[in-house]
Amino acid sequence: MPSNKISAVLGLAGLLGLALQAEAHHSFRSQYDADQPVTFTGIVTKVEWMNPHVYFYIDVENEQTGALENWGFEMGPPHMLQQRGWKRNSMLIGDEVEVHGTRARDGSTTANARRVALTSTGQVLGAASSEGQTITSGDPPAN
Amino acid sequence: MTRQTHRKLATAALIAATTFAGLALTGTQAQQSTSETTRPAPRWPDGRISFTGPPGEVGNWGGPPTSTLANHYREGALGDSGVNLETNLDAEDVPFQPWARDVYEYRQATFTKDDPHTRCKPSGGARLFHTPYGFEILDLGVEIIFVTVGAPHSWRVVHLDRTDHPADPEPSWYGHSIGRWEGDTLVIDTVGFNDRFWISRGGFPHTTRLHTIERISRPDFNRLRYEITIDDPGAYTETWSGGWYIPWIAGNEPFDYLCQENNLDAARMVGPDLDADAGE
Amino acid sequence: MHDVKHTSRCFCTALLAVVVLAACEPSPPSSPGGTPPEATAVPQETAVREAPRYDDGLVRFDRIAGEKGYWGQASVSALVETGVELPMNDTGLLDDLADAARIAPFRPWALALYEHRQRNGLADDPTRFCLPPAGPRHMHAPGGFRIIQDRNFDRVYVMFGGGNRNWRVIFLDGRDPPDPEEVVGTYYGYSSGRWDDDTLVVESSGFNARFWFSNGGLPHTEALHLTERFSRPDYHTLRYEVTVDDPYTYTRPWNAEWTVAWVDDGTIPEQFCEDNR
Repeated sequence: MPSNKISAVLGLAGLLGLALQAEAHHSFRSQYDADQPVTFTGIVTKVEWMNPHVYFYIDVENEQTGALENWGFEMGPPHMLQQRGWKRNSMLIGDEVEVHGTRARDGSTTANARRVALTSTGQVLGAASSEGQTITSGDPPAN
Repeated sequence: MTRQTHRKLATAALIAATTFAGLALTGTQAQQSTSETTRPAPRWPDGRISFTGPPGEVGNWGGPPTSTLANHYREGALGDSGVNLETNLDAEDVPFQPWARDVYEYRQATFTKDDPHTRCKPSGGARLFHTPYGFEILDLGVEIIFVTVGAPHSWRVVHLDRTDHPADPEPSWYGHSIGRWEGDTLVIDTVGFNDRFWISRGGFPHTTRLHTIERISRPDFNRLRYEITIDDPGAYTETWSGGWYIPWIAGNEPFDYLCQENNLDAARMVGPDLDADAGE
Repeated sequence: MHDVKHTSRCFCTALLAVVVLAACEPSPPSSPGGTPPEATAVPQETAVREAPRYDDGLVRFDRIAGEKGYWGQASVSALVETGVELPMNDTGLLDDLADAARIAPFRPWALALYEHRQRNGLADDPTRFCLPPAGPRHMHAPGGFRIIQDRNFDRVYVMFGGGNRNWRVIFLDGRDPPDPEEVVGTYYGYSSGRWDDDTLVVESSGFNARFWFSNGGLPHTEALHLTERFSRPDYHTLRYEVTVDDPYTYTRPWNAEWTVAWVDDGTIPEQFCEDNR
């Protein structure tokens, strides 16, 4: 068993890291399954700028059935998204977006968005959500 | 002299002479150090330690969401945290009553899916201190008020002007708190809790017999040290303690956050399929 | 059965009540050398205890060290335009719905919505779902509040005992309001304040439209702009005036005002709306 003595150096690193980390008001793992990464491209149908988490919804075509499905994606709270450069009109109904995220455990068409990219401009926006990620721009995560 | 004029003339003195209750922070100690990591905690003009920033240096405390009241090393709902106190127990060494151990194990195994905080319930005990989005500590001299953005956008009062609790306090989420200073450490004694919240994010259970002693200090400018002693003979065989360091988030300001606004999480926090996992 | 109240009571009446209250107080600290008035004495203007102040003269809206207390009962039960008096109960439900149009200069849709909410017995009140009685409603809804001045960071916190025991913050550092094109509306909005002598003047915008800003169900849009004026004419009285400006909901800006009484030696009990959910 590892020692429960944590060095001051590690403690400080943890503190600095946490200052940058995305946060949430709930346990990520209870709601999302890290073994089910998802990537979708679709058209935005609704954006809910509300606490405790901003949600947006996109229509995507199910590759197996051909049916149109509406997926909802959770992000961080409005205030945190704004701190990371989002504006209320950053994503509008009708925009096409590419989303990388993690699917919900309950089997619904819901996921936690980790990275959102606007197809029209290529602009990448972090989602400030609860997966302990710090990405605000750059390359997509490896899923 | 009008009061308005008086107020203008007093502006300079205000910086050094007033706060909520009549004091303001000095920045002199902060300027003595060029290193953020060793910058000493600020103090009020009377020498008392401050748990906020000097004027003009806004910021607040960011409850670290990965902190845990006791260390656990198995795959669980919460990762081990580098911010825990060096003295924290391992979870298996916490002096649980048998039922309380079972409850804790279940909450961990289900990745804390039933956390009342996620249902917008107030966060009593240590739970307040690792809730994200920041909290302020208002030092009014005769009372301390914790002002939280999350958890659930409310305020908790610690009475520094009394030394005893009510004889039979109505059970509540925050309990009845009396505090005192031991040197640079704020010591808070609390009773009168209800049993509808979790003591910590990790799911340590308690009963209405819970009595806590919290010790809060600021070893340097950028860290708050939070430690809580759990005294609950209904859930534990003896008292035990745990805690973590809380980082100062420079520039952070309080903002509007209402958990009840569009809380879709509660119904979706289903946790793992324990039966399936057991069959693997 | 709710007690029937009349809104927009004469401020002088409230002041007189405060004079009586103050006269019954033992040994007002503002006159430590004076003789405490007899409880049965005829109230005198001089018996009114002055509002407390900081050392630099700034008026103080909270308790002073060594005392307890908070702001409790408001003199009204809902917003009604200044000068109008209408009978209603303590939840803002009008005795006579025909009075609705006199409450405020509604636009037609807003009057229709207000009347619907009234006819519906206020059943759709968002506070039933523990959403906050934000805006001016907190200043007349039950539960009490404290106004705590953070001189260190130049802010004012208003701590509410009602609703879900929330708080709002008012920044006094002269900052500009957020860009209305970019702001995400919130329940408490974005408040920026300044001192006009002894009056705290607060401008607020950036609200969402998902709460009722008054008992009784007055509607608004995200364009809502409030100008609030807080003053403490004496120790036991908070005077509150608000100008409601929402051109999509009301045909012109309009005012309401009331007083709130100080609860001597009181402490706001811990109550959350979530207690009962």
